[in-house]
Amino acid sequence: MKHNTFNKITAVLMAVVMLATGCLLSACGGDKNYAANNTEFVIGMSGPLTGGAAIYGVAVKNSAQMAVDEINAAGGLNGVMFKLVATDDMHDATKVATNYANLYENGMQVSLGTVTTKPGLEWKNLSVDDNVFFLTPSASGDAIPANANGFQMCFADGNQGKVAADYINQNFAGKTIGVFYKSDDPYSAGIYQQFKANLSSSVTTVEAVFTDANTTDFSTQIDTLKDCEFIFMPIYYQPASIFMLQAKDKVAANAVYYGCDGLDGIASAEGFDINSIPQEVSMLSHFDSNATTGAAKEYIDKYVAKYGADTLNQFGASAYDCVYAIYNAMKAAYEADNSSISVTMSASELCEVLKAQFNGSFSYSGVTGQNISWDSTGYVQKTAIRYVVKPAASNEN
Amino acid sequence: MIRGKNIKWKDFINYAVIAVVTIIFGSLSVTGNLASSTQFLLEKMSIAILMAISLSLVVGFLGELSLGHAGFMCVGAYLGGKVAAVLAQSMGNSIVTLILSVLVGGAVAAVCGVVIGLPALRLKGDYLAIVTLAFGEIVKSIFQNTSFESFGGTLGLSTPRYDKKVLFIIGFVLVIICLAVIQNLIRSKHGRAITAIRDNEIAAKAMGINVTKYKLLAFTVSACFAGIGGVLYSWSNYTVQSSNFGYNYSIEILVMVVLGGMGNINGGILAATLITYLNTTLATVLTGDLAVLQNLVYALILIVIVIYNNSPALKSFRERYNLKALLHKIKLVKHDPMRVKDDEAVWDRVPTKIAMDEILSVDTKVRTSVAEKGDPYESEGED
Amino acid sequence: MDFITTLINGLSLGGIYAMIALGYTMVYGIAKMLNFAHGDIIMVGGYTIFVVLGLSGNPILATVAAIIVCVVLGVTIEKIAYKPLRGASPLAVLITAIGVSYLLQSLAQIIFGSAQKIVIVADMGTVTLGSVSISVSTLVTLGCTVLVMVVLTLFVKFTKTGRAMVAVSEDRGAAQLMGINVNRIITITFAIGSALAALAGLFYLMKSPGLTTTLGAMPGIKAFTAAVIGGIGSVPGAMLGGILLGVVECISYKITAIAPYTDAIEFSILIIILLVKPTGFLGKKRREKV
Repeated sequence: MKHNTFNKITAVLMAVVMLATGCLLSACGGDKNYAANNTEFVIGMSGPLTGGAAIYGVAVKNSAQMAVDEINAAGGLNGVMFKLVATDDMHDATKVATNYANLYENGMQVSLGTVTTKPGLEWKNLSVDDNVFFLTPSASGDAIPANANGFQMCFADGNQGKVAADYINQNFAGKTIGVFYKSDDPYSAGIYQQFKANLSSSVTTVEAVFTDANTTDFSTQIDTLKDCEFIFMPIYYQPASIFMLQAKDKVAANAVYYGCDGLDGIASAEGFDINSIPQEVSMLSHFDSNATTGAAKEYIDKYVAKYGADTLNQFGASAYDCVYAIYNAMKAAYEADNSSISVTMSASELCEVLKAQFNGSFSYSGVTGQNISWDSTGYVQKTAIRYVVKPAASNEN
Repeated sequence: MIRGKNIKWKDFINYAVIAVVTIIFGSLSVTGNLASSTQFLLEKMSIAILMAISLSLVVGFLGELSLGHAGFMCVGAYLGGKVAAVLAQSMGNSIVTLILSVLVGGAVAAVCGVVIGLPALRLKGDYLAIVTLAFGEIVKSIFQNTSFESFGGTLGLSTPRYDKKVLFIIGFVLVIICLAVIQNLIRSKHGRAITAIRDNEIAAKAMGINVTKYKLLAFTVSACFAGIGGVLYSWSNYTVQSSNFGYNYSIEILVMVVLGGMGNINGGILAATLITYLNTTLATVLTGDLAVLQNLVYALILIVIVIYNNSPALKSFRERYNLKALLHKIKLVKHDPMRVKDDEAVWDRVPTKIAMDEILSVDTKVRTSVAEKGDPYESEGED
Repeated sequence: MDFITTLINGLSLGGIYAMIALGYTMVYGIAKMLNFAHGDIIMVGGYTIFVVLGLSGNPILATVAAIIVCVVLGVTIEKIAYKPLRGASPLAVLITAIGVSYLLQSLAQIIFGSAQKIVIVADMGTVTLGSVSISVSTLVTLGCTVLVMVVLTLFVKFTKTGRAMVAVSEDRGAAQLMGINVNRIITITFAIGSALAALAGLFYLMKSPGLTTTLGAMPGIKAFTAAVIGGIGSVPGAMLGGILLGVVECISYKITAIAPYTDAIEFSILIIILLVKPTGFLGKKRREKV
């Protein structure tokens, strides 16, 4: 009996030792330059490619890939190509650590961070240890760019809340407005909190909330908000489109819906005819997916031709800009000093180069704005435009 | 099981394996030879194993279906994480901070275990299952709506992260502690009382077993270790977000327990390890456009394994070609003749006469074969 | 007046919960399994309506198609995934059901993509009674749910198949000995449950036009809760639980201070009810014998 047991223990031990040696042989060392064998620049990202938030992750992945393909078709950076590796986090923060580590150990040199805020809070801390640069297209939480290696292409939530509050303070002093937000969503609740904090006391608010468990039936909320002539809704377009359809006969036809960048995509939502909504729909954003001129129009045409209008939204536009901004910054650094960029440089070295650019005089013009620059925290500096997605029906006629 | 002088090493082999794995990977990690992806994977495994073992006590041994195990984890993660965050300001990420947070998280979760154990005295089967599910969702909802200053609200609670080189070692130490407590509990007279309640509550009551006490005991111990798993989670993540502790996660833990075999702790450990590994590998391999296949592959594997493992029609096939038989051939797996072979929770509490006979006959068979040949699998292996 | 509007909203939501809960309760009562994939069959019904409505533009045709697709799917799932496990531990079946649920969701995402689709089944307008306006779809939902409940009750009470279902749910072994084809009865149960899921999908889309691959998940859990409140296995109980849950949800959302806690409130009510009545409102007490 004893003899047998020892045999078994020895066998298990040997298996483990073999496993560990295998692990060592496959070179999983601690602190080393994983990019040393790269033949192309590797851009990593983590986003919800499946699950409820997949539309954002897919839009970002598609757009970033489109930008990478364009850059490569134009010869890359001094002949060196770029490669995008997109991992799926299902909008779940617990998956980020694995995604990050695998990307990093497979040679990721620069990244787009995460698509959404909750996973982004993990990414921001994971990447600071290895000093991996990230420019996130859409993780808009205020805390995301807190570390030196993090930058945002989208507006931070708090910033959006403040701008919206300013607009309402100017136009609705002494009046009552409605607020409709999602209480368990960091994006929505984040904007709402800053909005509330900056709202002047002369504006009265009527508030209605919904949660993740109920994103489809808004009859109660509509009943609360039905007498408001101005409804601020810092929410994403999917619940917004359902709200508008359910509310179209109950809320006054001359009312105004006012949202933030999450509302983008509403006009092109599949099956949703925005013109069936009598109310005015407007939003504060950096991108208009109905744009008919300029860089935005060009981007929209290319995207729709390649991936269809299904996933067209500001997340993707922002991601497209992110890739080009990183490329332009690398190019600027390369042109200033030939030796500053190489394909085998470590993520940390590249991060220092890019940080110097983004904190310096570098600016970028693209789909989501002109002369975009970044402040010392990593917040983006560009103009938010109030787009009227659809004017009120009475104005049309 | 320690019976007089006859100490069976086999009963301790799971400790040995975990300890050896920990020592090997730990020494690699401390000397800086382990990639962070492996460290993260091991952290996740240790958390999953903790959760699976602790749930196994309630589902496998007490025989109550719990769909809210993540709720206890959530309580532990938030309260332990809060303690860690507060203490870390003055004491840093020291081992003392970690131990204190583990104690607090485990204790508060244990209290919740008592609270949930109380309805368990009155409710049965699926009714209890839905109460545990409801508990998990309530806990989730409450932490989600806390203020930013207290528990972080929708953004989640920011918690300190422990050094990734060491955290998984601590995780496995906690696993060994949990294993020691639960395994010894089950092998004691208290454990036999718990399984007696599972097999027939009324009969157990008639035999003078204090059902109230043992049900509460099982729920409390289980919740306590789930809470500790939660604290470990809070140390291995920078934020604790309540949305991660929904019923989906509870179900994931339940899957580990069921795949491991009800009332089979080692099976649970193995299943927890493999599922965590499978999920991580799928996430690593299927990137970009293929990511959409992850759930598909996972779902298919799940369905096939469950049907293969449990289908009565495949029973004879299974007995000839299974992992255990394979492992027996290469002499890896211990065979404990004292373990009741048919150790699965019976949900219709009162087994019919026929079912009872079947259970008994299986038992007798095992015993006789033991008496005749010693270990019945050994002779097979030597051929 | 506000209260009446909220109540009507609650009834309308409750009607949908009740419809889903009826399916849950049927399957549970007879097959003795928690069919976690039930919510996803609703989702499949929704996508079928979306496709057929897009092709033909006829809501009735779309509904019929959805019912057929869901019944075929439900029976197929039962045959492939659940039947091999008959006689195994109910937990194994539960886990398989979860696997099926993941499978359906990921298949739907592969086929239809991740974007939300807006499906407007039929614009039926509203009727005004005094100062309260009720949408016609609410009335249709409630009417159909009551009708289905009555038909199911009569079916179970007075038809041969219905009696056989009761027999199987009481004691499967004894039913088999009495010459009832248990497999056939369970298949019929799944067919009925899936048809109810298709109807629930229709009413769901009539109320809320957003269609996503995770559409069935939360309503499924809520309806399960409703079925338990009413006493799982009881047809009128499912109706009662569904309506109660819908009304509570709407009242809670109406009061701003407690609105974010709505889920917690609903589930707390469940726990309280179960503590007072351990088998729900209309659930049967089973005596245990040794």
